Amino acid sequence: MGIIKKLPVYAEKIPGGGLVTTSLNSAFTLTQAKSLWYFLFGTACCAIELMATGASRYDFDRLGMIFRASPRQSDLLIVAGTITLKMAPVVKRLYEQMAEPRYVLAMGGCAIGGGPFYYDSYAVLKGIDKIIPVDVYVPGCPPRPEALLQGCLEVGKKIRTLKMDDWS
Amino acid sequence: MTKEELTEYIKDNFSGEPEVIENDQPEPYFIVKAEDVVAFSRFIHDDPKLQMTFMMSLSGVDTGERYEIVYNICSYRLKHRVFFKTILNHEKPEVDTVLDIWPAANWYEREVWELFGITIRNHPNLTRFLLPEDWDEGFPMCKGWVGKDVIPFPERK
Repeated sequence: MGIIKKLPVYAEKIPGGGLVTTSLNSAFTLTQAKSLWYFLFGTACCAIELMATGASRYDFDRLGMIFRASPRQSDLLIVAGTITLKMAPVVKRLYEQMAEPRYVLAMGGCAIGGGPFYYDSYAVLKGIDKIIPVDVYVPGCPPRPEALLQGCLEVGKKIRTLKMDDWS
Repeated sequence: MTKEELTEYIKDNFSGEPEVIENDQPEPYFIVKAEDVVAFSRFIHDDPKLQMTFMMSLSGVDTGERYEIVYNICSYRLKHRVFFKTILNHEKPEVDTVLDIWPAANWYEREVWELFGITIRNHPNLTRFLLPEDWDEGFPMCKGWVGKDVIPFPERK
């Protein structure tokens, strides 16, 4: 009911009729932002928090977020965990396999900038933004589920500001 | 067998005269010459009073002056363990594989080869599996190794 009540903000109601008019852009971004299917990419302890957020206590489903095991069906890539140099080409390839429009959320210190493996490490990529563009960063080691939920809402907010022309 | 009995039994029955390391640990600890590793492994694996059929771990060590390979072996049936290590020089670190005695040594030996550069002779599949496939910066677990992308830890003031 929340969306229906808020619709007049974006759409104009015709008096006496059951029709609403709105811009295609508004409808597209609204539907996209309210159903972000995310790709499971948990490589370390952040994945445990991701699972907790997806499970019933914090409940990703109420944001319309369902996990997908295939990049071809997902809109959002949540990189949860340490990305090693050996894993980096895999992340890049999976990102390229996602259909546009696609968004990336970097979860936790490792995905943002190497985290505890920043110094003296030969094996860890110092942040996934070296290989793929990142939309939202959620800091923490690991972040609380509330922080991840807020990060996903921020992705939604970012989508609402986009124009359809941006989705090349 | 207790630690002392195990130490005596192995010293009396193995021909290669392994050197005993004295320590407070509950397991006997030997230094075996690199050319004796396979014979020693075969002996403790096949001897009916030892029956060391399970490899717990195999690790490489770089002390700066020399390489070591430490073997941790135990017997599930007789409930005892033995540790032994072999010392290799820096110029030509080479040791024979114990893969046909304990199949668990396969990936451990590949890891030692990949991260320390110790050549494992007669290993059937000595290929990379930990580092990236296009890695060409040497052996990162060796003392004094510095990679071109490694950010050193800042000095504490």
